[in-house]
Amino acid sequence: MKFAPEHDVPIPYMQRTRDYYRALGFETPYHWAHYDEVPFTPLARPLAQSRLALITTAAPYQPGAGNQEPGAPYNAAAKFYTVYTDSTDSEPDLRISHVGYDRKHTHARDLNTWFPLARLREAVKAGRLGALTPRFYGSPTNRSQRVTLERDAPELLARCRVDAADVALIVPT
Amino acid sequence: MGAAKDIVEHCGVPRFVFSDFPLGNSAGKPFDVESQAATLELALRVLESAPAPRTTVQSPQRWSEDASWKLDYHNLAKMTSAEIAEHRKEFEAVKAVIASKPDRK
Repeated sequence: MKFAPEHDVPIPYMQRTRDYYRALGFETPYHWAHYDEVPFTPLARPLAQSRLALITTAAPYQPGAGNQEPGAPYNAAAKFYTVYTDSTDSEPDLRISHVGYDRKHTHARDLNTWFPLARLREAVKAGRLGALTPRFYGSPTNRSQRVTLERDAPELLARCRVDAADVALIVPT
Repeated sequence: MGAAKDIVEHCGVPRFVFSDFPLGNSAGKPFDVESQAATLELALRVLESAPAPRTTVQSPQRWSEDASWKLDYHNLAKMTSAEIAEHRKEFEAVKAVIASKPDRK
């Protein structure tokens, strides 16, 4: 039996990021969200009768906000700072130039790798999932945990409830 | 669905499907409907069957046979000091853009 190479493990992003920013000259380390208690709710009904809310960190394309093309350098001007929604019947033009994805190994030309709306519609059509909520939800990546906790997360939850979601699928990029 | 295992688990979430893929591919491989559908199906099964919070299930899919892509992301060991200086300039520019946004707070 042959073992996998030692480096063939999930990338230690937190350590890499700490080391990277320290080398760049930033001494105050970032504190990632960290909880000892985590909520858990079993499904109320089978998925085939459930309504799913899709939550994304991808950004709607903003004309005039700089390069948002696949492979574009990190583009903070393309960030968004409030929760948005759009129809799950639409074909939204969502981009990821505003976040730190792997620009060497991800070409970012296929939206379905970070936004599984097309696959979710197929799951509904196949009867695997009851329905999608009429809207999907965009969560800002604004680097402020206070704003995320006090404003954005409650707003996302409120919108999911208005749309009578039973379950939520969060896909961060 | 995510690709940064340590960060998601450090936070703690009810259910997590981990794809050991480069960041940007939480929902499956590009232009590969089968990979994306399999990733979603795994997420749906985890939604249905996770017994407790912090349930992580790793997708059996592999990005490539060769795992050397994992050595690249933000890896100081592979950067020159000139590259690090360049990254610092880029990061300062990013911070300035974010600080200039009126609706960020």
